[in-house]
Amino acid sequence: MRKNKSEKPGFVGTESELVAMTNELDELHYDVGMPAMWEGVSNMIDNLESARTSRSTSRRSFLLGAGGAVAGGALLSVGLGPVLAGATTTQKTSPHAALTSSVFPPAGLKGDLAVAAVAASLENLAVYAYKAGLSAATAGKLGTVPPAVATFVTTALSQHTQHAAAWNAVLAAHGKAKVTVVNPTLAPTVNSDFAKVTTVAELAKLALTLETIAAETYQAETSMLSSAAAIGLSSSIQPVEMQHIAILYYVLGEYPGTQSASGTPLAFSPTNQAA
Amino acid sequence: MNVDPRALTELLEESQDLQADALRPTRATLDELVEAHHESESPDPRENVAFHEGHRQGVWSSLAGAPLLAAAGGLTLVGALASAASATSSQDIQILQTAASIENLAVATYKTALTLPYIGSSSANAVVNKFARVTMNQHAQHADAFNAAARALGGKSQTKPDPAFVPVVNKAVASLSGATAAQGTLGVVGLALELENIAAETYVKDTVLVKSSSNKGLFASIMGVEAQHVAVLLAVQALLKAGAPQLISLAPGTAASLPAAAGSVGFPNAFYKTNSAAPASQGAVK
Repeated sequence: MRKNKSEKPGFVGTESELVAMTNELDELHYDVGMPAMWEGVSNMIDNLESARTSRSTSRRSFLLGAGGAVAGGALLSVGLGPVLAGATTTQKTSPHAALTSSVFPPAGLKGDLAVAAVAASLENLAVYAYKAGLSAATAGKLGTVPPAVATFVTTALSQHTQHAAAWNAVLAAHGKAKVTVVNPTLAPTVNSDFAKVTTVAELAKLALTLETIAAETYQAETSMLSSAAAIGLSSSIQPVEMQHIAILYYVLGEYPGTQSASGTPLAFSPTNQAA
Repeated sequence: MNVDPRALTELLEESQDLQADALRPTRATLDELVEAHHESESPDPRENVAFHEGHRQGVWSSLAGAPLLAAAGGLTLVGALASAASATSSQDIQILQTAASIENLAVATYKTALTLPYIGSSSANAVVNKFARVTMNQHAQHADAFNAAARALGGKSQTKPDPAFVPVVNKAVASLSGATAAQGTLGVVGLALELENIAAETYVKDTVLVKSSSNKGLFASIMGVEAQHVAVLLAVQALLKAGAPQLISLAPGTAASLPAAAGSVGFPNAFYKTNSAAPASQGAVK
């Protein structure tokens, strides 16, 4: 779009107003959003056990993308920090400890619980990538980082962390190991792509790809999950990933919504990039 | 804003082609959908009672969760609107018809907004103008998709807007009369924001409520798009309130000038809420 040259290009004087609005939203999030989330997770835990055996097939999105994937050296632990080299796995035996199997998702997880594991691994991958981005930015490797981009990254990182925690809470409640590794199918590609990132715009494009995969995966799984609670949790996360996508497009100077490769806005979100 | 009609036409044609491609899988499963409907044609009376009770409670929560609409008098409509919808339609049909009614209202609202000079004329902010046009078109496509799904189940198309919100939207639009461009734009954005959020929250809830997997997929393919509308409107609203309309721009370099808070104002919650969701049968064909 054209820009009115007579208008002042920068943001003038009312940052505090926007900060106040954001703080208000943040308070709302923790006062309203978090209790609602945990209520949803609690319901899911209550309902999942009885429902998960009813429709253990038709996990297209996850079985195609990650089911049975041999992780090899690609499994990355989110908790290791934002250093992309040094891929490793953690070896623990507690059912609540980090996932250790080289096969992902683990053979012991079926139905909605397998979906939960893969969802957690996707969220971990997003957390991992954003942490890596922040680390690179802090080290001055991406040039000047706009304040809005920094806020976007830290907020999105926080939300993906909460998404991963929600899925892991479900797994833990069923005596299953929490998933602290990143999605093994996508990790090599993300590593390779991140190695080429030298600017904020390139980081935003990588984030856009990850958010799109996450959103489309949640969308695809919605009609495949068994329990209403699982569908509800997945459905409460997909729109948030879609919002991340919209703002990333805006930051990149493109139409702020789901679109085709040529930039045409789409009224219906596709699923061709689902994991 | 300078609009190239040919480019716009090409864009819309391309979009329609893409949408046709996107909807093909949905249409391909219509037979499955109809079959599933026939299998569940005899509604469980207990289920219907629970459904309508949920509807009655939902009217309250929906309007209470939308401050602008509630302040405009929406709460007075509760008694009249909380009556049960047609008991002859299946739950999925009623949900789909309600969704179509919300889409119809959104189309009408954007259509009206585009008649206002600060939204629809060449002097309007180009991003806001394009957003209103594209979004109106998308809502029209959503309405068509919901109605096609309702018809596939043996229901009627819902061609009317959601009755609960029509008077309050009309009142909100009327209140824009005489407003300055800045006030008017902010008013339109605020109204659109509430409608979009109601749509998004309703579809998040409906994705759980509908029975057929095809309908779950349809709602899932739309709820995120509405959430994106919300994100954009939240960002635009924040920049307008902050007196920085020049930053509502897709020009190169704009991101560098955005205030820090603009990076997160579009997605305030890690989990999308449903407390403003419209009752499932609110817009069903009576």
